[in-house]
Amino acid sequence: MGFFLETLIGGLMAGMLYSLVALGFVLIYKASGVFNFAQGAMVLFAALAMARFGEWVPLYTGITSPLAANLIAFALAAGVMFLVAWVVEYLVLRHLVNQEGTTLLMATLGITYFLDGLGQTIFGSDIYKIDVGMPKEPLMAFQSMFEGGLLISQEDLVAAVIAAALVAALSIFFQKTSTGRALRAVADDHQAAQSIGIPLNRIWVIVWCVAGVVALVAGMIWGSKLGVQFSLSTVALRALPVVILGGLTSVPGAIIGGLIIGVGEKLSEVFLGPYVGGGIEIWFAYVLALGFLLFRPQGLFGEKIIDRV
Amino acid sequence: MSKVIGDVILDVQNISLRFGGVKALTDISFNVKEHEIRSIIGPNGAGKSSMLNCINGVYTPQEGSITFRGQKFDHMNSRQVAEMGIARTFQNLALFKGMSVIDNIMTGRNLKIKSNILMQALRVGPAAREEEEHREFVEHIIDFLEIQAFRKTPVGQLPYGLQKRVDLGRALAMEPQVLLLDEPMAGMNLEEKQDMCRFILDVNDEFGTTIVLIEHDMGVVMDISDRVVVLDYGKKIGDGEPEEVRNNEDVIRAYLGTSH
Repeated sequence: MGFFLETLIGGLMAGMLYSLVALGFVLIYKASGVFNFAQGAMVLFAALAMARFGEWVPLYTGITSPLAANLIAFALAAGVMFLVAWVVEYLVLRHLVNQEGTTLLMATLGITYFLDGLGQTIFGSDIYKIDVGMPKEPLMAFQSMFEGGLLISQEDLVAAVIAAALVAALSIFFQKTSTGRALRAVADDHQAAQSIGIPLNRIWVIVWCVAGVVALVAGMIWGSKLGVQFSLSTVALRALPVVILGGLTSVPGAIIGGLIIGVGEKLSEVFLGPYVGGGIEIWFAYVLALGFLLFRPQGLFGEKIIDRV
Repeated sequence: MSKVIGDVILDVQNISLRFGGVKALTDISFNVKEHEIRSIIGPNGAGKSSMLNCINGVYTPQEGSITFRGQKFDHMNSRQVAEMGIARTFQNLALFKGMSVIDNIMTGRNLKIKSNILMQALRVGPAAREEEEHREFVEHIIDFLEIQAFRKTPVGQLPYGLQKRVDLGRALAMEPQVLLLDEPMAGMNLEEKQDMCRFILDVNDEFGTTIVLIEHDMGVVMDISDRVVVLDYGKKIGDGEPEEVRNNEDVIRAYLGTSH
C-alpha cells in the first residue's frame, strides 16, 4: 500500500510538471486560436535566460544574496520573454490577422527553430544549472501509518504548489476579467473581435507575455530538476498528449490531463511493466492521447466541436 | 411616423474599391442622416457588403473618403470605428461560438469597461460595481431581444435565427450611434424575418440609433427603410425613398432583367 501511494504521488508530481508546459499551449490556443508549436522552444529560451542571468547577476553586480540574485534573474528573464512576445507579435502575428489556423501553426513552427537557435547563440549551448534554492531532500511522511513511511520529494511538492497557484490565477484572469473575455473572443473570431473594438495586437502581446511567463516558470522548475539543456525543448512533446487529453481550450483540463498522464505513466510502468517487459512510461501518454483523438477529440474538458452543415 | 430625422451623420464620397482587376465599387456616394433607417440593396455581388466593409474599416478603398460626424477619413480602422460608435453585425455569423450568450454580448461592453485588470480579478471596489452595471445593461438587451432562456447557452448550440439575434445584441451592447447590419434576415423563415424587422424598428425607435441595413429581400427593405441606395455591379443605380426607388427604371431592370 505504501509503495502504491508513493508511486501515485510521484506520478502526480511528475504530472504537475507536464501540466505546466501544457498550460502554455492552452493559453495561447484559448486566446488566439493558434496551436503554438513554439511553446517548447519558449520553455528552453526562458530557462536558458534564467540560468544565465542567475550566473551573471552575482558576477557583474556583486549581489551575493541568492534570493535577491534569483529574483533579479527572474525579473530579467521575464523581461526577455516580454520582448520575445512583442517581437513575435510585431514581426509575425500582426501580418497574419484573419488567416487560417494552419498558417499560424506553420508560423509558430518557424518561431520554434528561430528561438532554439537564438537562445543558444545568446546564452550558450552548454548544460547550465538553475539553483533557486529548491529543497532537494525527500520528505518522510505518514511514518505512523505505513511501515517505513512515504517518501515524498520536497522539490516536487514546491513545484506542485507553484503550478497550482499559477493555474488559479490564470483561471480567474480568463473567467472574471474583461481582458480575459476579450482574449476568448479573439480566439473565436478575429474579425468580429475587431468590430467591437478589441485591439487584436495588444491582446496578442498580452497572451504571448503570459505564455512566456508560464514557460519561464516551467523552465525554471524543470531546469532546477534536470539542468538546462537543449533537450528541455522536447519537454513540449511530452506535454502534447496532456493537451489532447485535457482539451485544448481548458485550463483545468491541462492540469487534470497532466495529472492523469503523470499517474498513468508511473503506475502502468510499475505495475504493468513487468508483464510486457517495461518501457510503458515512454509510450503510455501517446497511446492514451491516440485513444482520445479517436473517441473524444475535444478532450475531457475542451469545448465541444460543433459544426453546422 | 413621428421620429425626427436629423442632419447627415455619415457621408460616403466617391468611394472606389478594387481587388486587383476586379472593380468591387465604382465611385459610390451617398449619405446617412441621423436616426434614419438607410438601406443598401442590390442583387448578389452588387458590392453591398464591400461598401459596409469600407465603412467598417475592414477594406481600404483606393479612392474616396468617408466623413463621420464632420471628421473626414480616407480609410477607416476597425478599432477606431468601434471607438467612434459604429457597430456592425455580420452576414456570415461571426459570433464567439464557444462563449455563452451573456459573454458574447458582454464583449460588446469591452470598450466601456474602465477599471483595471487587477481590480477586476480581485473584484474589489469600483470594479465589482462596474461589472454589475455592465451586466445589468446586457440583461436589458437580452430582455429586449427575447433570448432570456438562452443566457448561459454556448452560442454555437443555438439555432441560426437566435444566433443572428445574439449578433445584434453584441452590437447593441456597444451603444452605437450607427448600426451597420449586414443581411440580418438572410436565411431566415418568414416568422424570424418579422421578428428581426420588429427588433430593428424598435432599436431605431427606442434608442434613436441610426441604422444602415444591407438586404437583398426587396419587400422587407421597402417596408422599413426611410431611404434606399441601390447598387448593381459596384455602381449606384438608384437613391431615394422606397417609392421612388421602386419605380426607378434601372432598378427594375437590375432586379427583373430587361426584355431584349
